Amino acid sequence: MTSEASVEAFSGGRTEVRGERVYRHDVVARTTHWVWALAILVLVMSGLQIFNAAPYLDASDKSNPARRVLAFGAVTVDGQPVRVTSVFGHRFTSARVADTAPLSDVRAFPEWATLPGEQDLADGRRWHLLFAWVLFVAWLAYLVSQGIRGKLRELVMRPADFKKLVPMQLYYCRLRKEPPPYGTYNPLQKLTYNVVLFVMFPLLIITGLALSPGIDSAIPWLTPILGGRQFARTWHFLLMALLIGYFATHLFLVITTGMWNNMRSMITGWFVLGEHDGVGP
Amino acid sequence: MKRRLFVASSLSALGLTACGPVKESLTNGPFRNVLLSTEKLNHGVIGTHGLAREYREADIDRNFRVNGLDTPSDATYAALSKGRFREYRLVVDGLVDRPQTLSLAELRAAGDRTQITRHDCVEGWSAIGKWRGAPLGTVLATAQPKTTARYCVFHCFDADQSGERYYESLDLHEAAHPQTLLALDLNDKPLDDDHGAPVRLKIPTQLGYKSAKWVQRIELVADLTPVGGGSGGYWEDQGYEWYAGI
Repeated sequence: MTSEASVEAFSGGRTEVRGERVYRHDVVARTTHWVWALAILVLVMSGLQIFNAAPYLDASDKSNPARRVLAFGAVTVDGQPVRVTSVFGHRFTSARVADTAPLSDVRAFPEWATLPGEQDLADGRRWHLLFAWVLFVAWLAYLVSQGIRGKLRELVMRPADFKKLVPMQLYYCRLRKEPPPYGTYNPLQKLTYNVVLFVMFPLLIITGLALSPGIDSAIPWLTPILGGRQFARTWHFLLMALLIGYFATHLFLVITTGMWNNMRSMITGWFVLGEHDGVGP
Repeated sequence: MKRRLFVASSLSALGLTACGPVKESLTNGPFRNVLLSTEKLNHGVIGTHGLAREYREADIDRNFRVNGLDTPSDATYAALSKGRFREYRLVVDGLVDRPQTLSLAELRAAGDRTQITRHDCVEGWSAIGKWRGAPLGTVLATAQPKTTARYCVFHCFDADQSGERYYESLDLHEAAHPQTLLALDLNDKPLDDDHGAPVRLKIPTQLGYKSAKWVQRIELVADLTPVGGGSGGYWEDQGYEWYAGI
């Protein structure tokens, strides 16, 4: 089968062509997208505030320095407080702390990165627990509304999509002239959104709930399958780091693949099709 | 394109510098009531169900980490500690039919439960200890709470540097939970002063700050607002949740 023939076979009578304006994201999809963006921002910043109260992570149930994965701290060198970061027991001494504040005042994450800015575990928890609900409700609203409209079909990975992942990556790496034919989202986009929506969001919620002594009593099997409470805390932190990695990639691709077109589609819903958009399933 | 990038980066730089005041006004402005309301939702959804996990002897932390403050400087407390708490009496009063004044021996006779449970601090760390004492529900029952009583307030010997007394509270549902203990022993030894001697609360279904140390008096009340700062506990008055199940 030639590639032209396969394009025709896959397009199934669709007439979308380059330059055509299509209404891509409905109002629920757009709203929930921006609610997620806000919720993730608040959750990361308030999460770092909470992390600062015990700036270390263990791969264990109870706290156990012998199984410490990551630790932020400070030591005094020549009368100056110096930041120390330990990763699997390897200590990295970083830049000197500017002032000679007491060691206990040295924070793992700085003021600009936390919510509230100053050390305030109580309010950090309030923000975190509220926006956890916001994220959860927006996630549910998106899945239900898109499910009802039949739009999830455009997004969910199908077996055929997995075969297109390598060609798509080769195209991105400029090692292939044409991308494989795809529909609304290209196969790598689909995979990424599927991982974020169906793996990372649920796991972030589950690992967060596993930290709760109330949940641990009510659902006693949950915390152990994650390796215990401190391990759940470690997973929760790791997932946060992965989500930030995703966000950076997302931002980069939004900017480099037609920033204004992408932004408009997420604000007004209207998207101008590119050369390869919407030619396949 | 360059101009757009410049505008975008200037806007984000402006955003970062405005961040401090924005965060401040959001946290303490009218939005504060929304922030505080989540607690009721979490209390309703998570609540107190089931029993906390109980561990094996091998899991115990022999040097159990001290949470909160260490030994109180209170003069009465110091005198009691010096006399090895022979003169200590736990008072149970308020909305009860039979106010109680219990010595440590009487408290031990009131009930006996041993549990190896994990203590989850609000800061994020966890430690496992073996707690032995009388279930709070049994002790409260001897005092026969009136039907108007809804909460028990734990008045403690401790006070902070500004003289603010340390206290905590539970509703009678949580107080009656079989693992809610008035603990006298930690890891097979009577509690030491740093860990809350001679009597502390131990409630493994909630975060560590609910497990008040150095309990002096248990008062049954109908309403928490007239007590202390009105939020149901010392840490609650500082902004922490009264429901500490998450």
